[in-house]
Amino acid sequence: MAERTPGWVYAVYLALALAGAGLPLALAWEGFVGWLAQARSMTSLAVTLQVLASGILQGGLYAVIAMGLTMIFGVMRIINVAHGEFLMVGAYMAFVFFMMLLPEELHSLFTSNLGMAILGVGVFLLICLPLMFLFGMGVQRLLLNPVVGGPELTPLLITFGLSLILINTFISVFSSDFRAIPYMSGALVVGNLALGYPQVISVAVSAAVTGGVFGFLKFSRLGKAVRATAQNADVAMVCGVNVERIYLYTFGFGTALAATGGVLISIQLAFSPEIGGIYILRSFAIIILGGRGNYLGALAGGILLGVIEGFISFFVSQGSQLQELAAYTLLVFMLLVRPQGLLGGIADE
Amino acid sequence: MSKRALEAPAAPAPASLAEELPAGKAALQLAAIALSLFSFVLWPGLVNVYQISFVFFGLQYVVLASSWNIISGFTGYVSFGHVAFFGIGSYTTAILVAKHGWPWYLTLPLAGLLAVVWAAFIGFPCLRLKGPYFAISMMGLNEVLRVVALSWESLTGGGLGITMPNAENSVSTYYAGLAVAALTVAMCYAIAHSRFGLRLAAIREDETAAEAMGVPTTRYKMYAFMLSAFWPGVIGGIVAYKLLYIEPDSTFFIAITVNMITMAMLGGKGTVLGPVIGAAILYTAQELVWWYIPWLHLIAYGAFIILIVLFVPRGIMGYLIDRGWVAKGVIQ
Amino acid sequence: MRAEGAVAGEFILDIQAMTKRFGGVTAVNNCSIRVPRNIVAGLIGPNGSGKTTLFNLLTGLLRSDGGDYFYKGEPMVGLTPHEIFNRGISRTFQIIRVFREMTALENLVAVSRDGDLGGVRRRALELLDFVTLLRLKDEYAGNLSYGQQKLLEFVRALMSDPEVLLLDEPAAGVNRTLLNTLLDRIRQLRGQGKSILIVEHDMKVVMNHCEKIFVLDYGELIAEGLPEEIQRNEQVIEAYFGHK
Ligand SMILES: Nc1ncnc2c1ncn2[C@@H]1O[C@H](COP(=O)(O)OP(=O)(O)O)[C@@H](O)[C@H]1O
Ligand SMILES: [Mg+2]
Repeated sequence: MAERTPGWVYAVYLALALAGAGLPLALAWEGFVGWLAQARSMTSLAVTLQVLASGILQGGLYAVIAMGLTMIFGVMRIINVAHGEFLMVGAYMAFVFFMMLLPEELHSLFTSNLGMAILGVGVFLLICLPLMFLFGMGVQRLLLNPVVGGPELTPLLITFGLSLILINTFISVFSSDFRAIPYMSGALVVGNLALGYPQVISVAVSAAVTGGVFGFLKFSRLGKAVRATAQNADVAMVCGVNVERIYLYTFGFGTALAATGGVLISIQLAFSPEIGGIYILRSFAIIILGGRGNYLGALAGGILLGVIEGFISFFVSQGSQLQELAAYTLLVFMLLVRPQGLLGGIADE
Repeated sequence: MSKRALEAPAAPAPASLAEELPAGKAALQLAAIALSLFSFVLWPGLVNVYQISFVFFGLQYVVLASSWNIISGFTGYVSFGHVAFFGIGSYTTAILVAKHGWPWYLTLPLAGLLAVVWAAFIGFPCLRLKGPYFAISMMGLNEVLRVVALSWESLTGGGLGITMPNAENSVSTYYAGLAVAALTVAMCYAIAHSRFGLRLAAIREDETAAEAMGVPTTRYKMYAFMLSAFWPGVIGGIVAYKLLYIEPDSTFFIAITVNMITMAMLGGKGTVLGPVIGAAILYTAQELVWWYIPWLHLIAYGAFIILIVLFVPRGIMGYLIDRGWVAKGVIQ
Repeated sequence: MRAEGAVAGEFILDIQAMTKRFGGVTAVNNCSIRVPRNIVAGLIGPNGSGKTTLFNLLTGLLRSDGGDYFYKGEPMVGLTPHEIFNRGISRTFQIIRVFREMTALENLVAVSRDGDLGGVRRRALELLDFVTLLRLKDEYAGNLSYGQQKLLEFVRALMSDPEVLLLDEPAAGVNRTLLNTLLDRIRQLRGQGKSILIVEHDMKVVMNHCEKIFVLDYGELIAEGLPEEIQRNEQVIEAYFGHK
């Protein structure tokens, strides 16, 4: 329908987009090669593997967060700008639980005993996730339900308003200082690889949650209804699916997944009420990379981004900005070249 | 109806689509516009520097909200990264003034022009995207610019930003801002009262039908996008010079985008007056809350955005239209 | 390149073996139709036989998977919809597509050709008057009734004074009185030398008002001819009643 465009125009855009995404990667490669030349081959392989492994660990975390976002985007066609703040709320729930509700004497349990540390996170998730699920359902019922299916601007603004409220409420309560939870330090050593315990636990939990989500969508009745609604809400409704209820659950699940990410961040990194912004745009990049409503795509996209960022941050000085540049250019590039995502998302009519 | 009736004009028709106003009413409107412009012109002579600045930043938002309205309100493509054009203008002026010693007012045409060039460059591929994808792409591209401004230290000073030589500028920037605001609103008025504006609205309402009914949608969307980028670029330059200092995070700041959107929504998007009214009200309210209850400021703002979107999605103008106090349609 | 065998001026639309597939469905299959100049022609066929798809091909909204199409001997495949429109082919939609948040008057003015706005406005008002919508000129199109929207879309298609008018089920949902006005108007346009192609399910309308009828079934042209011929055509009767 659009006017025909000469091929060279595409070529120019392609080149520029590749430059945006590729410049950081090229710099990383250059750093990598330069470093290879100096290092002895045995260690260099080990370090490469190390960077790769850290990237995958980081990517697993991204994937859990993005999965919640892509679920909401897939089913409700809503861009949830407050997703990063839901994550932040999860992190602060962990903070309140570990630092305020748990007696001081018990802290050492989580810093010294691996089994207890895992158990602690598991138990805490069991408490936190239902709460966040309810919170998500509340948001959906009160704020988003009236506007689902309307113009895209409305939910965008509502969730932005919500994120402002959340960030600043948490700043009022907790101040904007960074907080951290005392947790297992040390690393799991496998051959030449040293993987931090929090990261390993985090990726294990991510894997479990991801598996749970896949199983749920694949095998449970409700999960099938969720997928049907994502494909076509009208058809689903005709087939007897209570679409409004599905939206409610979807937003609950999505919120809980974001909060899972938050809890996993809280055991690895310091956090403040403003960390949501770090994750939200990356999550957009990931879900566009993976395709709207494509969970496998979100997993692959998350890990891909984690690894790319890992390499950039290790091999390029000033890496943090270039990491972002790579993520955002990748986002725009994917939108232009393959908006349905690498693995193909749910088609828009 | 006979064939003749279609071809032979029965009576001289008014030149514009809107019914011609009775002479008295038109004169009244003109007088109101002249009076308000006049009072804006007098303002700096009557008040102190802070009060001049107060109105200046209000005018800035009139420009931004009205410009956003062209691509998003009239044409229906939600730009969730419109601050990018403002940022490009800011950096153009700051760099030329601080590093090349240009007089600030000469940088302004270039600031607007570069914003338009960027709009054309990203509009070409992005305006094919629909709905949320367009919105996300705009947001992403704004972040790209922010990170570039952070990283390209030799040009932009990176995170440290750019400081311009000190200057007495509050009155000169005020008048520049006033002129730009007046021109922006005049441009929106001209668009809304032309077939170009009607065709943009047709694209918003049903792009496929518009294309099938002879509207060159691709080209028109591009024009609208470029027009909506120019004045934000210019006002960005003026603001940079007024502040004499800029840095990436507060320049390519997503909250500024949200401000312009919320203002346009509050007043009524897709209308000429809406963004102006919205900017005036919301900006004043923001400043007041900020002044009196700073800790509540952003929480209240978040709640306010939600309330507007949920309860007055068509804004003040929409409310007036529904009441029958303002005529329906693109043209008011 | 000119359409082979087309005597210039004889056929206004010359569709040659056009095909459109949607995945596994062939919505329009190797379809060749020649529409004579200055005629009211009917395009009929069971639901899903490809009539709307054919209109979308003719107006450039869909890209064909094969075949050619000539308008006044000029090739049209590959042109954008607005280019096709500007050559003089206008249409209405089966599912109403008025510009909902624009007034009735604005709906018409938006699609006018460039030129003096006063004249355009006058023409728009006359057209609105003609379909009894004048008093609703400043009402949002979305607030009009279904039948009124249908009429608005009809006059919107006339705004640019097109040579060819493609009407996709114009009578559906329009009441008797308005329907008669509409048919009157179509006859008038025919009198002015226009060519009109109508998709319609109301057989009375088709048989009484069309001079020539084309019948589609499963995307293929299965018959064409005068109304009487079509009424007697075995294949057509089979298409409508045979397999269901
Ligand atoms: N956009 C589309 N995508 C997929 N299939 C389509 C599309 N449009 C039409 N079809 C299919 O093409 C066939 C013809 O449809 P249509 O042209 O609407 O028929 P008619 O107008 O004669 O009722 C139908 O089988 C329909 O399902
Ligand atoms: Mg049809």
